[in-house]
Amino acid sequence: MAANPMSQFEVYSIGPKIQIGSFDLSFTNSSLFMVLTVIVISLFFIVATQKKSLVPNKMQLIAEMAFEFVSKMISETAGKDARPYFPFILSLFLFVLVANLLGMLPYSFTVTSHIIVTFALAFFIFIGVTVVGFAKHGISYLKLFVPSGVPIFLLPLIIVIEVISYLSRPVSLSVRLFANMMAGHTMLKVFGGFVVSLGILGGWLPLGLTGLELLVAFIQAYVFAILTCIYLNDALNLHH
Amino acid sequence: MKDIKELDSKIKDLSKKTRKVESESSSNSSLGMAMKLSSEMVAAVFVASLIGYYLDKWLETEPFFLIFLFFLGAVTGILNVVRTSKMINKE
Repeated sequence: MAANPMSQFEVYSIGPKIQIGSFDLSFTNSSLFMVLTVIVISLFFIVATQKKSLVPNKMQLIAEMAFEFVSKMISETAGKDARPYFPFILSLFLFVLVANLLGMLPYSFTVTSHIIVTFALAFFIFIGVTVVGFAKHGISYLKLFVPSGVPIFLLPLIIVIEVISYLSRPVSLSVRLFANMMAGHTMLKVFGGFVVSLGILGGWLPLGLTGLELLVAFIQAYVFAILTCIYLNDALNLHH
Repeated sequence: MKDIKELDSKIKDLSKKTRKVESESSSNSSLGMAMKLSSEMVAAVFVASLIGYYLDKWLETEPFFLIFLFFLGAVTGILNVVRTSKMINKE
């Protein structure tokens, strides 16, 4: 096992090198774990919803809980109009959650610890929400940048501030997820290196960090999904 | 009759338990919201400075826009934090 705590984040290609133009499109360990995440989610839901009994067994219960959790989150933060986006939010939440949790397994790779992955997700959400906003409200969606009750001579400054605030959304969304995952995994690795020198009794202490990291994995997936809901709410219900 | 009463007390116990879980999950989300605040502020400064840098490159006014937008970004970051904490308070 490599002693360097950062070596777990290395991306290397698996299989043949595929080069199209100046892009390296080889299949990497990162892509492998993204595929694995999707497979795990799909398999779980296929198996869990096979029986559809009135009194659910454990797997069906977990599937229903995930379903209800996201459904409640959407209705609480984004309201009724956001119902059509339920499948998107559910898949987003599950993808981030399962990618985080798969990363907790020893020797695995955490997809969400790379900013390019989280930024791609966040940027896609940003574009999607903007398109939804313009589709629903037309050009009056730009009113989002003009809060009511502002003196006219302050307006140019306020509009610039609002635009910056809007543009900073995908950055803050992606940086938060990536920073939490990377910092957490680096910390786990560093403390993991202390296990042997701490002895039989003290060596169990870093195990607490694993629990904390599991909590962070869940919270970050939750925050990612709930912020998407909040942005969607801003786009659907203009109330500035 | 006795069975029904037993069942009733069981249901009450279970509903108490679920309520406990709910309050726990709300404290979890507030921890998540606390994490939200810090990145919100940094992101605004970062984005604004980036816009300033490229505006400068384009208009050849270095370093006016970079400095101006850096401070505007800091203002935006604080505004974002205030808004987010207002939202948390409302909940």
